[in-house]
Amino acid sequence: MIVALDIILRLAAWLLLAPLLPGIINKVKAWVAGRRGPPVLQLYFDLAKLWRKSVVLSTAVSPAHVAGPAAAWIAIITAALLLPVGPAGASCSFRGDALLFVYLLAFARFCIVLAALDTGSAFEGMGVAREVSYAVLAEAAIITALLTLCVQSGSVSLATMLAPSAGAGAALLAAGLFGVLLAENCRVPFDDPNTHLELTMIHEVMVLDHSGPPLAAILHGASLKLLLFAVLLTEAVLPLGKLSLLQAIGALVASVFVVAIAIGLVESLLARLAFRRVPLLLTTAFLFCLFALLVAWKGGRL
Amino acid sequence: MTPGWLLLIAGVGLVAGIFSAFKSPRVWLAATLAGAVAVFVAAVCMLASGVPWNWQPDFVIGGEKLHLQLDGISAFFLILLSVLGGAGTLYSSEYWTDKNHPASAPAGRAWWNGLLLNMGLVLVCANGLHFLIAWEIFTVCAYFLITRERQRPTARAAGWLYLAASHVAMIFLFAFFALLAARAGSWELGPMREHSELAPLFWLALVGFGIKAGIFPLHIWLPSAHANAPSHVSAILSGMAIKMGIYGLVRFTGWLPTPDSAGWVVAALGVISAVLGVAFALGQHDLKRLLAYHSVENIGIILIGLGFAMIAAAHGNAAWGQLALAGALLHVWNHGLFKALLFLGAGSVLHATGTREMSRLGGLWRALPWTASLFALGATAIAGLPPLNGFVSEWLVYLGLFDAISAHGPAAFAAIFAAIALGLTGALALACFVKVCGVVFLGLPRSEIAEHVHECGWRMRLPMLVLGAACVTIGLAPILFWPALATASAAWQPELANVTLPAPLVTLGAFHLALAALVILAGIFLWRRVQHNGVSRTGTWDCGYAAPTARMQYTAGSFAGIITGWFDWILRPQRHAHLPKKLFPAQADFEEHTPETVLENVVEPTASLVMRVSTTVRQLQHGRVQSYIFYLLLGLVALAILAVMGGTK
Repeated sequence: MIVALDIILRLAAWLLLAPLLPGIINKVKAWVAGRRGPPVLQLYFDLAKLWRKSVVLSTAVSPAHVAGPAAAWIAIITAALLLPVGPAGASCSFRGDALLFVYLLAFARFCIVLAALDTGSAFEGMGVAREVSYAVLAEAAIITALLTLCVQSGSVSLATMLAPSAGAGAALLAAGLFGVLLAENCRVPFDDPNTHLELTMIHEVMVLDHSGPPLAAILHGASLKLLLFAVLLTEAVLPLGKLSLLQAIGALVASVFVVAIAIGLVESLLARLAFRRVPLLLTTAFLFCLFALLVAWKGGRL
Repeated sequence: MTPGWLLLIAGVGLVAGIFSAFKSPRVWLAATLAGAVAVFVAAVCMLASGVPWNWQPDFVIGGEKLHLQLDGISAFFLILLSVLGGAGTLYSSEYWTDKNHPASAPAGRAWWNGLLLNMGLVLVCANGLHFLIAWEIFTVCAYFLITRERQRPTARAAGWLYLAASHVAMIFLFAFFALLAARAGSWELGPMREHSELAPLFWLALVGFGIKAGIFPLHIWLPSAHANAPSHVSAILSGMAIKMGIYGLVRFTGWLPTPDSAGWVVAALGVISAVLGVAFALGQHDLKRLLAYHSVENIGIILIGLGFAMIAAAHGNAAWGQLALAGALLHVWNHGLFKALLFLGAGSVLHATGTREMSRLGGLWRALPWTASLFALGATAIAGLPPLNGFVSEWLVYLGLFDAISAHGPAAFAAIFAAIALGLTGALALACFVKVCGVVFLGLPRSEIAEHVHECGWRMRLPMLVLGAACVTIGLAPILFWPALATASAAWQPELANVTLPAPLVTLGAFHLALAALVILAGIFLWRRVQHNGVSRTGTWDCGYAAPTARMQYTAGSFAGIITGWFDWILRPQRHAHLPKKLFPAQADFEEHTPETVLENVVEPTASLVMRVSTTVRQLQHGRVQSYIFYLLLGLVALAILAVMGGTK
């Protein structure tokens, strides 16, 4: 009973808080640009509106066009259940759940990109090709980050891996994971969520032909994924597992807020990279994680 | 009934199938399926009881007494053989009928049974000589199955390449078994780990079995053979025949001592095969060639697990070795199941459209809903995604690697690279199967042949359904298969007997079950919501393009272009482009082809060098008696000089 209640409460928190993050980022961007900007709760309004809207489907699409977003949304939510919250641990925790976490996000990507290819649009094909190609480097980086945490904690379970701080290589790991966060969530400098030129987009171009509730599922899933990465980054670096529950939650909220502001600042101050440069930047993120791993490795020996 | 009787029934069924293959396809179908079922039951009985079965009658073949045995490893591979054999048998009864292939179908059925029978014999033979005989016969049967369409030059070339590569492997295996028999004093096979002088023989076995398994760079025969064989044959070749190479490696690393560096070499070959296999797959435009390269990739994943298990065995059987071995063995089953499913699906596409060229297909889900959904299931499984079986085995290998790292043992540094390579492989495989599913089944038909097609019948659908169900079952309830893994592991290394479950397979299974149920529920929920809100249909928006044509869709080549660009150094794609020039360009075209690099840049130049040298040397032999007398004289002079020089010492 208590377990069920715990899962429901956490799910509600994850689901309800996730759309806040893009709102904060947009507010920061507007503030830097000297605009008033959309309200922080804008994504909630958008989701509510999309959920009630009717749907325009392409004549080319198969049932996968609707099933894909649903499956991706579920995959991201179940990944959220694996992520611990400070000393309270995760709702579902077992040995090897760290790898399941990574592969659940890969499964979500698989579903979204198949739903996009379903339309037969060349633009969406381009977006999908970029998404799956850059994910290769991002996945190498995130596996390396997990290896770092594994070397540090001697465990393969997220709850134990994320409890202590990342030690000496914390700054390296944070830099690497921040790069992965930007790439995986299609933010500047990898992708521009605001662009209107379809040729230069990754994530936005994949959802061009989605509308109504399936689009709501995709947008909500994307915001949840961003939150998951922000929490993962925070917990990988800070020793949240060592604090009391209230302190941990306070620190978590504050740091996720800081991450959101950082994303907003990056988006305001940097331009999107040319596509041929993206692999270089991702390789840099991978190298940051690899150096963090080496530091952790040496730390274990001393 | 004991396993012996069941195996006898199976043997009789398969032999009866050979005799009825020409006269009565129905009798053949029934006899072969009965044989497959009998093998399946026998192997399951053995794995369930854990008691090996031995049979040594006073029956001499080739001067050696027959010795058959069914232990954990044999039974483990026999189960896969029986499932894939049964599925392929039923599939071929609709796919390769007498009506469509009057010349090749009857003999094809006979060779098929010969292949199944001899692969089964290899798995139960415990005598080196008989092992070799059965190995050679199954290799030759496979050659005749690959060249079922002899009228096509590509099929003949693929067959020759396969035959040549297989016989290079055979030479190494002859050397391996002959030296083994000479040093051990008998052709009898069995555990002989205490004879440490046998260790160097491992390298012969690695090359011999490695060529069969398709380890990079020994895989040269594999892509063309898999692509040109009939699809049910491709399925058994990829699902089972290359696993015979893995069987050989597992068997003889278990029975014989291995050199210290063996595990490291196997793991390194695994990493290379996994990453480069999938890179080559991304460069392919031929559906079946692409799947063939994925076999190289998955053999790589199996070898990573096996390699680390061997390293662990050399270092006191650390717990991570058990995980790596369990992952490798489970991946043998998993790859067999989903790769056979994918090849049968590709066969169904080929059956319907008559082409394997992906750039001519598209939108097939409308006409082939069963094939499309089952292929998508297989693609999800082979990309190693939860909640299906591919993830379970990769996860076990990952756990083994992560544990090796946190143990800070001798293999930790290597395990870091292997884990990162495994992550890369997973993401690349995902990209590749997104490409296949998207280009072949989704979107709009790219050519007329993809427009007027029909779904396959139930005899082709049922085997795919069975294989798909097996993939789902292993994914959702992996714990059910742990006893089989434990028995096989114990047969590999007796010290691994009675190990406790090293990974939380029950929790993983429950999580997968919940995930699958939620995905289905969410799909239904979202679909109902969409229906409730109202749906209108229109053309793909495509950024407002007014008159899109299906040929404007993204192609397989452009899709993989970013990644294949990273691997240009090894893929060496050949590009022919006539770019648009001047104002109002009339014609432009672009063509890209990824060759089999190892074959074209290493093997063929070496072979032509050998040819050139031999041709030059052959000029000595021309039939002029005067010259021969001259050679004799030269020889005598040389001998005389040698004798004089030697005499002075």
